[in-house]
Amino acid sequence: MDPITAMYVTQGVHGLAYGMVLFLVASGLTLIFGMMGVLNIAHAAFFMLSAYFAYQITVSTGSFWLALLLGPIATGILGMLVERFLLRKIHTLGHVAELIVTTGVMFVIMGAVKFIWGTEFLYVSPPPVLNWSANVGGMVYPVYRLFVMVLTAWILALMALVIFKTRLGMVVRAAVSNAAMVNALGINVPRLFMFVFGAGSFLAGIAGVTIAPVLSVFPGLADQMGMDAFIVVVVGGFGSLGGAFLAAMSIGLLSSFGVQFLSQLAPLLTFAFMAIVLTIKPTGFFGERE
Amino acid sequence: MKSFSKGISILVSTLLFFMWMVSSPGQVGAVNAKFDFNRMSDMSDFDPNNPFIPTGDTFKIGVLAPFSGPATVIGQVYWIAALWAASDYNKRGGITIDGKKKLIQLVKGDMEFKPDVTKKVAERMILEDKVHVLWGTAGTPNVKVMNEVANKYKVIAQNTAALTDDLYEGPNFTRYSFMTCWCSSQIGRAMAYYYGQIRKKEKRFYILCQDSTFGHIFAEGFKAGLKEYYPDAQIVGEDYHKLFLADFAPYMTKIKASGAEVIYTGDFVPDAANLVKQARQLGVNIPIAHIYVEDPPSLTEIGVEGSRGLVQLSWYGFEGSIFKAPEFVKYYKNWNNAWKKWKAPYNTANYEHPLGSLGSYIEQTYWLLSVVERAGSADPEKIIKVWEGDTYQYANGKIQQMRACDHKTIQDLHILEAVPPEEQKAFFNIPPYYFDKNYSSAGRGFRIPADKIMPRIDPTMERCKGAK
Repeated sequence: MDPITAMYVTQGVHGLAYGMVLFLVASGLTLIFGMMGVLNIAHAAFFMLSAYFAYQITVSTGSFWLALLLGPIATGILGMLVERFLLRKIHTLGHVAELIVTTGVMFVIMGAVKFIWGTEFLYVSPPPVLNWSANVGGMVYPVYRLFVMVLTAWILALMALVIFKTRLGMVVRAAVSNAAMVNALGINVPRLFMFVFGAGSFLAGIAGVTIAPVLSVFPGLADQMGMDAFIVVVVGGFGSLGGAFLAAMSIGLLSSFGVQFLSQLAPLLTFAFMAIVLTIKPTGFFGERE
Repeated sequence: MKSFSKGISILVSTLLFFMWMVSSPGQVGAVNAKFDFNRMSDMSDFDPNNPFIPTGDTFKIGVLAPFSGPATVIGQVYWIAALWAASDYNKRGGITIDGKKKLIQLVKGDMEFKPDVTKKVAERMILEDKVHVLWGTAGTPNVKVMNEVANKYKVIAQNTAALTDDLYEGPNFTRYSFMTCWCSSQIGRAMAYYYGQIRKKEKRFYILCQDSTFGHIFAEGFKAGLKEYYPDAQIVGEDYHKLFLADFAPYMTKIKASGAEVIYTGDFVPDAANLVKQARQLGVNIPIAHIYVEDPPSLTEIGVEGSRGLVQLSWYGFEGSIFKAPEFVKYYKNWNNAWKKWKAPYNTANYEHPLGSLGSYIEQTYWLLSVVERAGSADPEKIIKVWEGDTYQYANGKIQQMRACDHKTIQDLHILEAVPPEEQKAFFNIPPYYFDKNYSSAGRGFRIPADKIMPRIDPTMERCKGAK
């Protein structure tokens, strides 16, 4: 591969990798909004909390893999508790109440993180087996980033399978469409929603653990990735898994090639992209809700 | 005739000696005041977690800093630095003001890294807490606001951290504010001087800075410096990324393709740490010239090899070795021994050494207290009179001179080259003979003389007409 081609190919891979990371963060948000109609402002805080779990578990046990297992589980359980004891009580009050409660949860998590871990920048290393670079046709690429891409693709496939091809997914979609009817059929809808919220938080947990070795872990991590994740959800269309994936890939590639060709405008490109998409299609790529 | 010639030669030699002393770059022959090791208190019981903060009839310093939000760590560093110097003075019995000894009271003001909050908090500290000095702070827009408030209420402000030259130029200038930190026009030129006049090796530079006022000014300073001190050098790429960027990979690909030999960046954490970390992960192993990649956890993360070749410009650096004077060893150990007893958040490696930026914040506070002590008054006009043109020598031997016309500090800067722990012995010349065994750190220091990096002068300022 000649150097110029290698450079463009590398930028393309960077774009896809970043898009995958964005999708990983946004997938849980999409799930919660798409299935429950709850715009979870605390989602990025769950993501950040999980990165701290990753730090703590790797420091305590030395195992990144244990962190990848336990971090998301802990975050998922926390999400279920939030839904059970806070959100369930105010579902009937509408979106504003949910926004206020999830914003409150976000502040509580931020405060707790500072209290427990302080405000220092903390670091998590990739597991040794993935902490090297592969040389593919002259293109040197960190294996850990490739792992994140594969993991995200696997999660996307699994989510699509569960939501669209299983009875569970069908019940959840039915509950979103007509909760009273599904309840009348003998299915415990509140419990179902609790598990959906937990699953969304679990996904935020996976994102937090996998991103920790790429970035610094600090209380501002939620802001660092949270904004881009919300843009992905909005551009993709609220609740659309396919839309979120397409939006994440588009933003990833736009960021990468934007730096290559329009570096002066690179910081603005994501916002410009969102503005253009929403001007043409206010519901986002595949969204049905405004 | 012979004795006459001898007398003439002695006279000429003496004159030449004094001329050399006066013109010696970066070293002023005599200083008005210096850090007094003999008066330094026993600080072994200093506890930043449970500090003694006096109240009542005190001399009050308002520490304006981000004590909440993503930048909280900055506030913690500022606080402990100011607290240390104030506590040392309080142990000596305080400071004589209008003939009466007064203890120094620090007041915390959380400006949340926002200009509007900075204004509100600064005004509250002046009007309600009655502070005599505003101390801080991070971020050019925030210091601009701090200076405006200081000017409005005629209260002294000490800019310890915002490096933008413009803050002390044209309509932004106020007599009440003093820039005791370094400034952007010095930094870029200092780095260029090092590469062009000292190192003389790498020629191809890639500028990668944050897309902020500071980032752009930082880059401009470097480009101007290269023209002045290294005309053969080439800028092979120049990019500005958004603050708190998550992915540096596209920039690294461009840097690789450009054939750059050095990355020049003014990024601060977390961007600085993420840039270095991701660069090394992506196989970009060229030297990175920087000012803020100094927090131990991020250096530990990239390890000895990853941090080897980092080149830091320091405002609290050393040439040759750190511990030349026994008094400075005592000063260092006073802090380092106390640190071993501190609790979170001050028990981390970030606070182990009173050097680097932390060292500078401590000594800037000592300078302020020395000025107030010599003014013998809390009256801003008397403080201004002492501080304008003042020369003060830090504990590490570095001399600071406050330029009277625009309140910018003339000072030497230092370049520190990161080498593995086993090569740090000559620089960190007391046990354990290295900063940290987990990463490369300063092992060689080079002085950039003050007269080669004079702070920029705004020619439109009437006060600065004819000033050097």
